[in-house]
Amino acid sequence: MTLFVAERVDKLFPGVRALDGVTLALEAGSVHALLGENGAGKSTLIKVITGLYRPDGGKLLLDGSEVAFGSPHESAAAGIGVVHQERNLIPGFTVGENILLQKLPTSRGLVDRAAIRSEASRWLAELDLDIDPDQPVTELSVAQAQLVEIAKALSVESRVLLLDEPTASITPNEADRLFRVVDKLKNDGRAVLFVSHKLEEVFQICDTVTVLRDGSSVLESGALADLTRDQVVDLMVGRVHEALSLPPRTVDRSVDPLLELSGVSTATGHADIDLAVRPGEIVGLYGLVGAGRSELAKALLGLDRITAGEVRIRGRAVRIKNVRDALRNHKIGYVTENRKEEGVFLEQSVSRNIAVTIWDRLSKLLGYVPAKAESALVARYVEQLGIRIASPAQLAGTLSGGNQQKVSLAKWLAAQTEILIIDEPTVGIDVRTKDAFHTLIWDLAANGLAILLITSDLPEMITLADRVVVMRDHRVQGEVANDHDYDRMSQQVIRLIHAERAVA
Amino acid sequence: MRRFVKTTEMTLLVICVVFFVFLVIASGGDLVGANSLKVLLQFLAVPILIGLAQMVVLAVGQLNLAVGAVGGFAAVAMGVMMADHGVPVPLALLIGFVLASLAGLANGLLVVLTRINGFIVTLATMTVLLGVQYRLVGTRTVDAYPQGLKSFGSYAVFGVLPLIFLVALLVAGLLSVMLRRTVPGRQLLASGGNPIAARLSGISNDRSVVLAHTLSGAILGVAAILTVASSPGVNKSIGGDWLLPSFAAPIIGGALLTGGSAVVLGTVLAAFIVRFVDTARAEFSLEPSWVNFVVGTVVLGSVVLGQVRTRRQSRRTVVKAPDAAVAGRVS
Repeated sequence: MTLFVAERVDKLFPGVRALDGVTLALEAGSVHALLGENGAGKSTLIKVITGLYRPDGGKLLLDGSEVAFGSPHESAAAGIGVVHQERNLIPGFTVGENILLQKLPTSRGLVDRAAIRSEASRWLAELDLDIDPDQPVTELSVAQAQLVEIAKALSVESRVLLLDEPTASITPNEADRLFRVVDKLKNDGRAVLFVSHKLEEVFQICDTVTVLRDGSSVLESGALADLTRDQVVDLMVGRVHEALSLPPRTVDRSVDPLLELSGVSTATGHADIDLAVRPGEIVGLYGLVGAGRSELAKALLGLDRITAGEVRIRGRAVRIKNVRDALRNHKIGYVTENRKEEGVFLEQSVSRNIAVTIWDRLSKLLGYVPAKAESALVARYVEQLGIRIASPAQLAGTLSGGNQQKVSLAKWLAAQTEILIIDEPTVGIDVRTKDAFHTLIWDLAANGLAILLITSDLPEMITLADRVVVMRDHRVQGEVANDHDYDRMSQQVIRLIHAERAVA
Repeated sequence: MRRFVKTTEMTLLVICVVFFVFLVIASGGDLVGANSLKVLLQFLAVPILIGLAQMVVLAVGQLNLAVGAVGGFAAVAMGVMMADHGVPVPLALLIGFVLASLAGLANGLLVVLTRINGFIVTLATMTVLLGVQYRLVGTRTVDAYPQGLKSFGSYAVFGVLPLIFLVALLVAGLLSVMLRRTVPGRQLLASGGNPIAARLSGISNDRSVVLAHTLSGAILGVAAILTVASSPGVNKSIGGDWLLPSFAAPIIGGALLTGGSAVVLGTVLAAFIVRFVDTARAEFSLEPSWVNFVVGTVVLGSVVLGQVRTRRQSRRTVVKAPDAAVAGRVS
């Protein structure tokens, strides 16, 4: 029996069609997988279903009749429970209170603790969980917290349950426990939607699958029993992309690497990372959200502690203390992922933004920085990068996203960095600017910079990188030499991500 | 019970007892005399309340810089109504209480409707109310209000327990029940603890913020009543020295500045400790400025300790502040 249908749902964001006629049908007593690459529209679809976003087209049907949810509260009241990707428990509250937060039982105006205990126990028992409802949630393990969230999602008497990447942060053992719970929910006749990047899990516990690509459903409710792993990967990756044509560029592989990591472990959980970037080379770091790529960059800049292994720059083992040290003594620059939060001073002029890395070189007596020196220097990079500004005094916040990103890049060029880490350079940037940016990064490498490129945009990776290093769970899964053949490359990369790791 | 042993409240209780015993010994036993005890407790009533008024706003993740201005303004308004306009005592006190609550409500609504930071909003309302307070009394000290009220302020049950102290404890008890056992109270703490999760659970964070500020105003209204009743008179400087103690009590009491914690007992106990510091100062005839020095240092120490505690906890567990959870998702 079909419990819930999202029919031809559209969702538009400025300049992007995030969902384009997506159809998803959830059956009672069945686990349905939702698959797709980063940015394919999975989380957007969940947000539409739960009433966080309003669809711009299409309709939602619950038990055959059309529904429209204005808020998560309304979808919950209708019996749709959801476990979001983010942890959503209230610290300082007990397990029981968290489970029943959406509707705390009262008697005579006061919160009824006995009722909380017994009702929460009922939901915990439903999931065969041995957790004390009076326990504070701060004492739970990651996996327990995850299971408590499922109990919370059930407590609205939900018949439809959406699980958004529930296994992203738990160990395989804990995941098995979760799967038993999912199995039980299915046998109780609920409809479960399971979002995951881990194909092995999907094949283990799901019955049907919908695959999203670039906001469209390329496979609707296919039976997993009829599909192979490779077929699913092909569907996720797709084959449509027109490559940007870039002038040929060769990397002299006889030259020693500028940046080299061997056996590096960090305080944020990386283990045994090997990596080398030569001058004139672009090395791509690919992985799913949570694979630990940005964290690795931050460790290289001294923002996180390196606990084991060796980092060599120009062949010499170094210990980078902080960003200042990285820039001054090792000529490493980091173009950050969130340009608005970490990359650009929105309320400052373009020239200040670019000159920030070299103020001490420009400054005269007592730290005075002559405005002329700033603008003179800035003019050069504005021209080189093609930054469109009215004047160097224009505030960075008034620029378009692409131009802000160029400003964020320019400050590292001004500092004459030789190693550049570029993190998700084209998120939220339109296609034409994207191409311009790609050309720019390509040229920088041609001029001899060593570039470590972090991106979740596979076409971007395949366009630019000379080699793609694939990471998962804070480890290197493997490496693919790039021949810029999109189909072959994307398959190899995706396979590497989903490959079983050789005995760890 | 086993959990209680490890809490901040337990630590504070031990400190309180030790400090008290120390003071008793240092004073050669004078402090346990009925009159000394009465004075000690009498001067605790208002600090407890202003601590609670700040605590309830901290609980929702906000702060209130206008505690002194709201209380001072309400106290002066009551005094002027009774002394200059002959308004009957109960009516004057009621009006003053309502005015303070409305001031709190205004703070909450301004924060929610303008989306301006609570720091700025309460800084502004503080300045406005200080102006009003000055306009009402000028440089006078108003003390010509009925003797009955003053006897209420100085009356002590069994000659030891001042009525106003009991009123403060009553407010603390009510607030504790409100925060722990009522739905609006739980929602207030949920909003403070994790606003995103609260929203996804159908809780209105805006309503929680308005409620917290209004409660803060109402508690300050009670503090104003007790001040009028127990002081020889009211003037423009009433409330001027409330800001530091208002933060000191909840922060020493274990409140998280990020919101989500209800530490009624901790706030009350911390008010005791601050009071003991003052008593010790008098006992050893030290400069009054030492009190601020000590309290300021203790507040700073508590914040640092709290930070360490939170960090240690977040290393062990998963349920942490929302910003940390979001940061954790960045690849």
